[in-house]
Amino acid sequence: MTAPPLTAETRREVGSTPAWFTPLLVWRVLVAAGFAVLLTTRRGIAIEGANRVLVLAGVTLALFVAMLAGYQTYRRRHLGRLLGFTVDLLTASVTGFMALNRMSFFNGLDAVGERFNRNIIWLVVIVAGWLISGWSERGGLSRPRIQRIGRYIMAGGAAIMVLAMGLLGAIPGVLANIADLEVVPVLGVAIVAALFARIQIGESAARLFGTTQSQSEGFDGLLFIAPNALGFLAFFAGPLIFSLVISFTEWSGLQPAEFVGLANYRELLGDALFLRSLRNIVIFGLVAVPLTVAPALLLAALLNSKLPGIRVFRAIYFLPSIAGVVGVTLIWKQLFNATVGFLNYSILEVTEFFNGLFGTAVAAPQPLWISAPEVAMISVIILFVWQRIGFDTVLFLAGMQGIDRSLYEAADIDGAGAWTRFRHITVPMLRPTTFFVVATDIILALQTFNEPFILQAPSTPAGPGNSTLTPVIYLYQQAFQQFQIGYGSAVAWALFILIFGITIIYFRRQGEDGFLKA
Amino acid sequence: MTTLDNTAEQAARDRRRSRTRRIFGVGGAYTVLIGFAAVMLFPFVYMVATALKTPEDTFRYPPKVLPRAPITTTVDGVDVPLFSLPIDGGEANVFLAEEGVEAGVFVDPASPEDSLAWPMSLATETGATATLDGESVPVYTVQVGSEARDLAFQRGTVVGRFVGIDDPSIETFAVVRIAEQESLAEGVAPQWGNFREVTELRDVDRALTNTILVTILVVAGTLFTSIMGGYAFSRLRFKGRDAIFLAYVGSIMIPFTVLIIPLFRLMVSLGWIDTLGSLVWPFLFNAYGTFLMRQFFVSIPKDLEEAAVIDGAKRWKILWGIFVPLSWPAIATLATFMFLYAWNSFIWPLVSINGANSDDFVLTIALSTLGGQSGEGPNLIFAAIVLSVTVPFLVFAFAQRYFVENVATSGIK
Repeated sequence: MTAPPLTAETRREVGSTPAWFTPLLVWRVLVAAGFAVLLTTRRGIAIEGANRVLVLAGVTLALFVAMLAGYQTYRRRHLGRLLGFTVDLLTASVTGFMALNRMSFFNGLDAVGERFNRNIIWLVVIVAGWLISGWSERGGLSRPRIQRIGRYIMAGGAAIMVLAMGLLGAIPGVLANIADLEVVPVLGVAIVAALFARIQIGESAARLFGTTQSQSEGFDGLLFIAPNALGFLAFFAGPLIFSLVISFTEWSGLQPAEFVGLANYRELLGDALFLRSLRNIVIFGLVAVPLTVAPALLLAALLNSKLPGIRVFRAIYFLPSIAGVVGVTLIWKQLFNATVGFLNYSILEVTEFFNGLFGTAVAAPQPLWISAPEVAMISVIILFVWQRIGFDTVLFLAGMQGIDRSLYEAADIDGAGAWTRFRHITVPMLRPTTFFVVATDIILALQTFNEPFILQAPSTPAGPGNSTLTPVIYLYQQAFQQFQIGYGSAVAWALFILIFGITIIYFRRQGEDGFLKA
Repeated sequence: MTTLDNTAEQAARDRRRSRTRRIFGVGGAYTVLIGFAAVMLFPFVYMVATALKTPEDTFRYPPKVLPRAPITTTVDGVDVPLFSLPIDGGEANVFLAEEGVEAGVFVDPASPEDSLAWPMSLATETGATATLDGESVPVYTVQVGSEARDLAFQRGTVVGRFVGIDDPSIETFAVVRIAEQESLAEGVAPQWGNFREVTELRDVDRALTNTILVTILVVAGTLFTSIMGGYAFSRLRFKGRDAIFLAYVGSIMIPFTVLIIPLFRLMVSLGWIDTLGSLVWPFLFNAYGTFLMRQFFVSIPKDLEEAAVIDGAKRWKILWGIFVPLSWPAIATLATFMFLYAWNSFIWPLVSINGANSDDFVLTIALSTLGGQSGEGPNLIFAAIVLSVTVPFLVFAFAQRYFVENVATSGIK
């Protein structure tokens, strides 16, 4: 299969020129011309405002690449194949996306959602089949027949589900949208670009362009990374840059954005509410993180001592972190209830028990957990700690299990007690894990949003007297309630800079202690 | 000799002492572990119990964990409520056997607060009188159970006759209206109907299936793009690969907070606001997932695929035929991570499904909407919470290993 290592020159002479080569050359010229038209005509790029500069720069780059691709294709160089393919893939993706979006393809998921709801029973059948086929391999025994039955049930369930949901029947509806005249040219470009992209992947293209083994590997790499990278650009990198740009503008989302330079950031420094949110969140982090990390370390140390039943305890501690923040927050909201909640009732009972024990008459405090400005943040802290301890425990446990046992054995011989071993072996050896745990907890704490938002609903998430106002809540209020999109973005970036700064400083401090060098 | 004996004795004593210390240590360890386990579990126990309560029961003070509701019994084929009334110093469960019994309100003249409504047929006039609120009233001998009391007659009333369910000879009397307000017998009575009721409420039903659909698509899509990307980063050399990979790894550092506003604007310009698509399409590309798969693929020995390469197999086949079957642990780990993320995410659905169309609700949004309404009783909200928590708990029960693995690998990175 693999040909002897020919040079690019000899390879080119071997095969004759395939029939698609001339159309490809024409196509290359057309694509370059298309970009040139886009760039020079007035209607070409209808986007106004902050994005315009970005889009113009992008199209200019695309024009340049398309021209280079055309020239290199003409010269039958591998570079022509690579660039041509890239341009075609991008063109096909963008135009295909536009056409499909125009045809409401992506919003078709809503209709699917309704049909899915009515046919949910088949999902149960599929899961049952999956469980049966999985069960067939339990205990090291393989029961092929049961496994086959399970697979049949799965496939049958899936087939019936697709049919019952009428997914096949929906295709004509989507196709009917092609009749929309504005879609036809865009879709046409997408199909032609996809066709040429496919041709350039093929074996005959590799021969024609004299692609070497390692060049072919790089080409495949491009292919495999493409779905991921396109999505990454569209839904991560692009929005990220966009966010930075609009943080320098004043924009309500309706009028064009107005460039204001650093004004948003300057305003932040004097914004009493923003500063209040920063103060709240710093105090929150300073209290909540140690209260989470210290018990987690203790629990991990206990779980690491090879007592029976460890797995059960570990599973129990882990439950809060998988249950979902909305659900657990609503549970705690009821526990925090000042009049009928269990928290105040327990405080009362415990106080009365001790009063009875010592003959004192201490009045039990009955705070209005969620609605009093002095304690509202404490309820958020309790909730955070309760949710996070188990997760951190599992992290610490994983770190402890990585510590060399021989260190403990050596300490045993030296007659070191449990505390000494913990203090002088576990803690120092656990430094990297501790760093990670503390850093993620800090990052998480600084971005607190869900807990105060749900606890305080339906009143303002800022809490009584702004006592649970966090930067992310402030961002939400600014961008989605006051429609100060530019200012909201500035809040987001200020918070990001804060998080990044704290992480870096913490990382440096830890680095000086030496674990990074070790 | 003696010194040796001494050392042996000393060693034995040390062993004994260390054993006692060990027992104390183990006991202490379990105390702490169980204590924390109780704190972690209680809210979930409370959740299930509250989901099974009646609306009134959720506002009870002092609060009770188990769901309690009035209990009934069947008398002559009819369901009648049970009452818990005092009889002979204790309390007994009784039902109303006869209404409209002519009775009087009798009061102890010494302590006018102590009053009793009792049938006239069990009272005999003594002929004496007593003074009550400045009026002269007759005194009766009232037969209450085995006890006879001399009480002043205040006014006439009507009572009901209550009879014990187990023992018909038990008999007591009370004003029916007051008994219905204060003395209905209660028992542990889970209200299973709450679950049916909540799924009929505000499209919780749709929210549940929508969440399942979104989660399936996000998990499957992320696995696909991550496996492809991870393979390219680990096995295929191309120009700029390491720079792109660095950008991916760096992007894990960037908090989602920064992306909320621009992603929202993107959804607006694509026309995806208030659609399920806004919860799925942007989340099929995950840098962390790509990183995870890449790390796992790197650890797969090269010679496994070399034979296939020499056979001229396409990379596509090598990836899905050799790499993927070897990588189930990493794939399952990533799947659990994405599952939790898609199932529990809140802030993004909050902004992108902003309420016009409850057909597109996911569970987190349905829950927070329910929780913010004072109209629905907490019992129904808690039933919805149970629905939302059950699925992750079930998945956890089957795939605990991979959840833990996920945490552990995130620590190593």
